[in-house]
Amino acid sequence: MTVTERERAEGALGKSLPAGEQALKEFADLKFALDQHAIVAVTDIKGTITYVNEKFCAISQYSKDELVGQDHRILNSGHHSKEFFKQMYQTIASGKVWHDEIKNRAKDGSFYWVDATIVPLLDAGGKPRQYMAIRTDVTERKRAEEARERLAAVVESSDDAIISKTLDGTINAWNRGAEQVFGYAAAEVIGEPMVILMPAERVNEESDILTRIRRGESVEHFETVRVRKDGRRIDVSVTISPIRDSSGVIVGASKIARDITERKLKEEQRKQSELQLAGQSQELARRADELAHSRRALETQTVMLQSVLDSMGEGLIAADLEGHFLIWNNAAKKLMGRDAADLPTERWTPHYKVYLPDGITPCPPDRLPLVRALHGESVQMEMMVEHPERANRVCLEVTARPLRDSQGNLGGGVAVLRDITERKAAEQKVQELNQNLEARVIERTAELKAANKELEAFTYSVSHDLRAPLRHISGFTKILVEKFHSSLPAEAQQHLQLIAQGANRMGQLVDELLKLARLGRQALSVEVTELSFLVKDVVTLLAPETVGRQVEWKIDELPSAECDPVLIRQVFQNLISNALKYSRPRSPAVIEIGRTEKEGETVIFVKDNGVGFDMRYMGKLFGVFQRLHLAEEFEGTGIGLATVERIIKKHGGRVWVEAELDRGATFYFTLGSRNNSVPQIAAAVAGAAR
Amino acid sequence: MNIIQEILLVEDSQNDIDLALYALREERLANSIFVVRDGKEALDYLFCRGTFAERSFNHPPKLVLLDLKLPKIDGLQVLRELKNDPRTKTIPVVIMTSSTEERDLVEGYSLGVNSYIQKPVDFEQFRTTVKTLGMYWLVVNRSPVTDQAPTRIGESY
Repeated sequence: MTVTERERAEGALGKSLPAGEQALKEFADLKFALDQHAIVAVTDIKGTITYVNEKFCAISQYSKDELVGQDHRILNSGHHSKEFFKQMYQTIASGKVWHDEIKNRAKDGSFYWVDATIVPLLDAGGKPRQYMAIRTDVTERKRAEEARERLAAVVESSDDAIISKTLDGTINAWNRGAEQVFGYAAAEVIGEPMVILMPAERVNEESDILTRIRRGESVEHFETVRVRKDGRRIDVSVTISPIRDSSGVIVGASKIARDITERKLKEEQRKQSELQLAGQSQELARRADELAHSRRALETQTVMLQSVLDSMGEGLIAADLEGHFLIWNNAAKKLMGRDAADLPTERWTPHYKVYLPDGITPCPPDRLPLVRALHGESVQMEMMVEHPERANRVCLEVTARPLRDSQGNLGGGVAVLRDITERKAAEQKVQELNQNLEARVIERTAELKAANKELEAFTYSVSHDLRAPLRHISGFTKILVEKFHSSLPAEAQQHLQLIAQGANRMGQLVDELLKLARLGRQALSVEVTELSFLVKDVVTLLAPETVGRQVEWKIDELPSAECDPVLIRQVFQNLISNALKYSRPRSPAVIEIGRTEKEGETVIFVKDNGVGFDMRYMGKLFGVFQRLHLAEEFEGTGIGLATVERIIKKHGGRVWVEAELDRGATFYFTLGSRNNSVPQIAAAVAGAAR
Repeated sequence: MNIIQEILLVEDSQNDIDLALYALREERLANSIFVVRDGKEALDYLFCRGTFAERSFNHPPKLVLLDLKLPKIDGLQVLRELKNDPRTKTIPVVIMTSSTEERDLVEGYSLGVNSYIQKPVDFEQFRTTVKTLGMYWLVVNRSPVTDQAPTRIGESY
């Protein structure tokens, strides 16, 4: 209602009612105030609208003209029951004020809520004359209410626990969901502290939450553990938000808790099974990988094995227990001259033409190396094979072994073939040669024995038959001289004496020669010998030869040696006697017997200052009957040095000489390898130091 | 007076026999020597058989001078048979030979020879040897074979 309209109303009132002017004015004021505040309509007792104010028109979107004369059914929203309206009419018809909220429909079909108070205006008899409806637009409130109700319904119907609490943590709302989740009825927990839901070890969560809420923060999807009324622990996901009053002040907190025990459990299970699955699939992938890897390795190995088998010089044949060939390499093909044939073992011999080493007897099937290997035997034997492309039979050395799996079960056999034809031929040749050699050795030995015998017979007859005539010559010339002394001229007697001397000398020669010959046949009788003793012995023995001479002896300490003492004594005797003999023109004769070292060997020497000789004739020196001096100058048979050489050679030693004409001679000798040991040398060095 | 042949000389070489007799004669021992020329004859003499059947085992020679190289039966065989028979084994035997073979020497001694002598080429030595032998075996040595006192050299000559 505009100010103009109010003035008009006041004016009309003031003009028509001058008597009760004041009362009317008051009434007009009231009506104005009413119109300003409320939606006002007036109906007659039948309900026909007689008056609507501006507010009514505004809210219903109808004009006054459209409304006046209509009843309120024009606004019916269909929301309220007939009972509702019937009750309303009964109330107002009985003259009572009715008050309620009504949902109406505006002209455009939208709904609006009004808080309505219907006041019956009574006549003098106390009966309603007309009705005045005063309404307030409560659409907003209603809507809020509806929304709240819907929310409340949502809250109530939610399976989640929806709880609100004050800022000090006291529970002040508790929905059905909360009842289900926590097991407490709303009545049991409202007014209780929130911490009753918390396990002891998590009580401090509450103060944290409250602190955050006070700061206006929310806690969203916080997963924690809470305790039900029955004490069971449950996993919950919690979202907590501050609750503010209409002025925005935080007054509490809402908490939505969801029981996620099962989800957790499922999650755990899922995780577990995912893990398992992941593990399994990983394992599967690994196995597949391994398989592929080992297949590749196997292929590589197979190829390698094949090339190894093919490049082998030895034939390799393997068969399973049934005699089916598993391997038959190139060399086997070449050696046997045939490829593998799938035949029973009994037919192998005739098919492959296998013979025993004699080359004649076909190899009995049960003696074939591979067949024996298939029976678990390890064999090595020689066989002959008739090769289709070779003139002579091939001689094979076959080594066969059983094949066993890792458990030791017999699974087949393998045979290695080696071509030993050439080796066999060579062996044959060697054997023949050996036999030949043996025959030749026997022959030679016999020849040697014969020669030896002959030599023995010779020396025997020399000793007998050569000496006898000499004896006779010597004897009869003597008898001749003795018996016919008086009738023989002096010259004849002299000749006869020379004949006797010649015979005697010849006898000596024969004896020496026999000694030398015997030496060759005599075995050495070796013992550790003090060479110094031998020398002393010999020097003593030869003392008579020094009678009437001036002889200066220089005798070194000699080592002991392994030798035949009798023979080495002979050596010293011959050498020293030579030294004495050839130094006869010297006065004094100086004879030195000593030792020296040459290339680790002990060398013994006998040195004289005698007549010596020209080294040019040295070659003759050790020969039998070889002499460098006239018998008239120096007597001798020419056998002494030959004997020395033979004895030293028999010991494995060497003998040599250094001499100069008229300046003496030095004879050196060694006693062979058995006297070359280090201690000997050490002793020799020690000796030399003396 | 029977001449007792006190020495049996077994020697095939006439020259050696002559030389031996010459040497022994000088010592007046020649007459007591009986000479046989081969091994068979030597055994016949010693065992009193064949041409020597009338001989008696009671009168064995006081010494046998035995050469080794003999016709028919060699000296070592003679020695062997001699020493194998109880009737003759005590007769002293001296081998006198040209041989200087060790094996002959060894075998001779193993068969029981009493002495082994090599005939020297030099006649003077030969003479000395023979003389010494005769003196030793006939004069010095006492033999179990007979009870006879040593024959005086003068008697037998």
